Amino acid sequence: MVVGRATLKEQAAEYDKLFRETGCLFGLTELKRKKEDPGTYEAVWHMLLNAVNTGWAVGCKVSSSPIAVEGGDAVWCLHVPTGEVVCSSRGITAHPGLLSMLIRRMIDHEYEVDPGINPGDIFENNDSHFGGIHGPDFQTVVPIFYNGELVAWAAAVSHVMDAGFVMPGSIGFLNPDVFTDGISFAMEKVGEEDSYYPWYEKRIRTRTRIPEWVLGDARGRLAGCLTIRQKFLELVEKYGIDYIRDVLKEYVEDGRRFSLSRVRTQMIPGIMRKSNFKDLAMKGKRVILPHQNIDVLFNLPMRLEITGDGKVRFSLKGASGWVPFGENLTPEALRSAAMNAFSHMVGFEMFNWGIMASWELEEPPPGSWCNPYPQNYFAATGVGWAPAVMWLSSMYEMFGRLYYSRGYVEEVAAGAATTMTAEFSGFNQYGLYTAGLTLEQASNGGPARAIADGETSAWCIYTPNADFGNAEVSELYYPIMYLGRNIEPDSGGYGKYRGGLGHTAVWMIKNTPGIEYQCGCAGLRSKIVGNHGMYGAYPSWPDRGSYAIDTNVKELIEQKKPLVHERGDPEEPDLAKNIKARILETNAVAPFVTPAIMHEYDIILHPISGAQAFGDPLERDPELVRNDLNNGWTREWVARDIYGVVASYDADAKEWVVDLEATERRRQAIREQRKARGIPFRQWWKQEREKILRRERMDDAVKTMWATACELSPDYGRDLKAFWKLPEDFDFRS
Amino acid sequence: MSEYDISEIEKLADGKLPWTRVQEIMRLPKDTDRFFKWLRILQSRVPWPDRILLPLTTALFVVEKEDGRRIVKCRCGHEFDDYRVNWKLHALVYVRETEEQMREVYRGREMPDPNWVQIREYYCPGCGTQLEVEAVPRGCPPDFEFLPDIDSFYSQWLGQPLGGQPYQFEDRTQQVIEQWAREDLAG
Repeated sequence: MVVGRATLKEQAAEYDKLFRETGCLFGLTELKRKKEDPGTYEAVWHMLLNAVNTGWAVGCKVSSSPIAVEGGDAVWCLHVPTGEVVCSSRGITAHPGLLSMLIRRMIDHEYEVDPGINPGDIFENNDSHFGGIHGPDFQTVVPIFYNGELVAWAAAVSHVMDAGFVMPGSIGFLNPDVFTDGISFAMEKVGEEDSYYPWYEKRIRTRTRIPEWVLGDARGRLAGCLTIRQKFLELVEKYGIDYIRDVLKEYVEDGRRFSLSRVRTQMIPGIMRKSNFKDLAMKGKRVILPHQNIDVLFNLPMRLEITGDGKVRFSLKGASGWVPFGENLTPEALRSAAMNAFSHMVGFEMFNWGIMASWELEEPPPGSWCNPYPQNYFAATGVGWAPAVMWLSSMYEMFGRLYYSRGYVEEVAAGAATTMTAEFSGFNQYGLYTAGLTLEQASNGGPARAIADGETSAWCIYTPNADFGNAEVSELYYPIMYLGRNIEPDSGGYGKYRGGLGHTAVWMIKNTPGIEYQCGCAGLRSKIVGNHGMYGAYPSWPDRGSYAIDTNVKELIEQKKPLVHERGDPEEPDLAKNIKARILETNAVAPFVTPAIMHEYDIILHPISGAQAFGDPLERDPELVRNDLNNGWTREWVARDIYGVVASYDADAKEWVVDLEATERRRQAIREQRKARGIPFRQWWKQEREKILRRERMDDAVKTMWATACELSPDYGRDLKAFWKLPEDFDFRS
Repeated sequence: MSEYDISEIEKLADGKLPWTRVQEIMRLPKDTDRFFKWLRILQSRVPWPDRILLPLTTALFVVEKEDGRRIVKCRCGHEFDDYRVNWKLHALVYVRETEEQMREVYRGREMPDPNWVQIREYYCPGCGTQLEVEAVPRGCPPDFEFLPDIDSFYSQWLGQPLGGQPYQFEDRTQQVIEQWAREDLAG
């Protein structure tokens, strides 16, 4: 026990020791304040929530950038002095864990001594080496003092529109190394007395392309933090510092207990495994350095073990190697992202550090995409989110399976959608240089449930605050005009219940001397399908973009001829049918940057994915298929060939009619076809083994992925080769 | 603590409850007897008498045979192997690995690259139900999605130990592969 006034470092060490000894955070084997007066305990919790959410509202409004103002893509939090987050605002809730780890890192580096932590100080970080996830996510931390003692922290994250990367914008998938990862703040004191230092503004003005927006975000983060500080101190005055100090810690421990109890009462012990992959095909495309002229496939395996005594452990054994792109991630960032997904699926009453303390993540293989620094300290993390959010999709599905087995069917989620971003850079309609992200990707289809289809365009893996913003407002920020923003039929996979559908934005470039479009990867799949289906559903399709440069759209408008408002048939797309252009691409493997500057009347079609489906498609209620046909959400051939539904269009009634008896006969026939074409697994295993030995139909990206996975996780490699009975020295690459 | 009539849980599982009621159920604390009611519902819907210990998917169950063996069984009655062996090893499998095969499901821009990924469809040999679909590059072993620790679950979590000798909690899939290798790859 530390005696007297302990330093933060001593306090933190003491808390860690107490957690190890008692299994309870801060050694709180009892929640005394909660027990004594549960009403006040609950009321103060809601007042704190109100404080951080007011911080969010103030901060987003003070910021001038569209991503905060229009999308709310930011978060504000309150932390105990040793860093553990107590509560979080709405917004991008993947970050509170990282903010906790950042504060803890400052404490570990003895910031109390140098540079000192004083009332009014402002600290900032966006460097992955010190607790950031990727460059555009700026973290701001402000200490809260009461009577000269540090009693809490207010902290915030917002995603700036340009991070000073080698390419404009904030989705740095093209960054080859840390030297191209943009402007850096490495756990720095950037201000005091509630004001940023003069050099802070200078650095942003010289190292980002749109400093007004980046500085607006900085002011927003600070304004939100100061709002939290003010409201928090009012609560201290009202309830007394001793009470507040106690309940902050109790809320965190309470969060841990809730999470643990949910596992025990709603899960099942055992071992779950889910393979998962992500592509990044850059061969032959515009890249920054020559060695990036490659295609990459990531291995993102998830193993989940829930022990009989209720311990939860995640493992990434088998993760493939780091990549020469901005899609590497630190284990700390992965943990924080996992906190978000875990809380989505396991649930929470108090969203805070307690959730993080209720499970373990085994250290990812050193040298892998999710732990690159042991092999490459200069690995880029420009959009480290990308593989992380795809890996997390497995967490949704795994817990979905556990819920289904346990009977809590209402909690099942089949797996997440993907994230393909759209960024523009160039001069806008006001003659100003602009660079930044549209918000389209922040509103995917939601995962299918075990009892219903997923919601359409209303879900996002990295924020519960799914919102793609108003088209009219986006038109104010960028030199574009929306020709369409339509639901994409069949984009949620095929299953008994389909995933929520995505949508496609169709933009015409307007009123600019020239602008670039970057179809970015913040977690997309373009060579492979969206993911697995669950319980026999087909996966959603790959993400592909379309564009037309130097078009005849001006003439078409003058002649009042059809333009393009949606993607249309996948083999005869509307873009190719209706538009003529010097460069016309209807099936571009993403990510990519358009090959030429885009001008007025050029066209972009940017699809946003739906999510994963659930169950055998032959078990879909024909009435749901009929409803989708009537809404234009599924196509006739899909209804017939995938769902086995026999339907005809009644032109007089203007609706589809299903022949139920013929449907049942057709479905039975399809089941018989399956039995006829399926072969016993044992027979296939023998054939497949031969094909693996010959490396048949294995792209170089596939071979490299398996090779690095086997090298970085030797026991994973041994198991994989043992399954196929491959020689122990089998090298996938040779 | 919440408690629901079994008929309401049945409607919930069948997607027949009004959405407002589903949301209410989501918000309320969970009912602790759900698992046993769930088993009763599932048991009443299968045409065979073996005791369901745990549902694995919408079609597959871990069941206890009369002689005490625990196996995976389809709702149609088709029996797989010991539940500690990945049931996919005893399923029918159809793999889409050419553009022609993929086009039946994914057309034009919707088609993945067959050199990067194959679509594996696992069917029940008894009824032809599509039990799982995997989308993986060549070389990926089939996912053994869930190996439940059934004895710990029943004894420690539900407080109702299963009778008979406890099963060792271990993955036995590789044992089958080793046997196949001896029989099929000899020489």
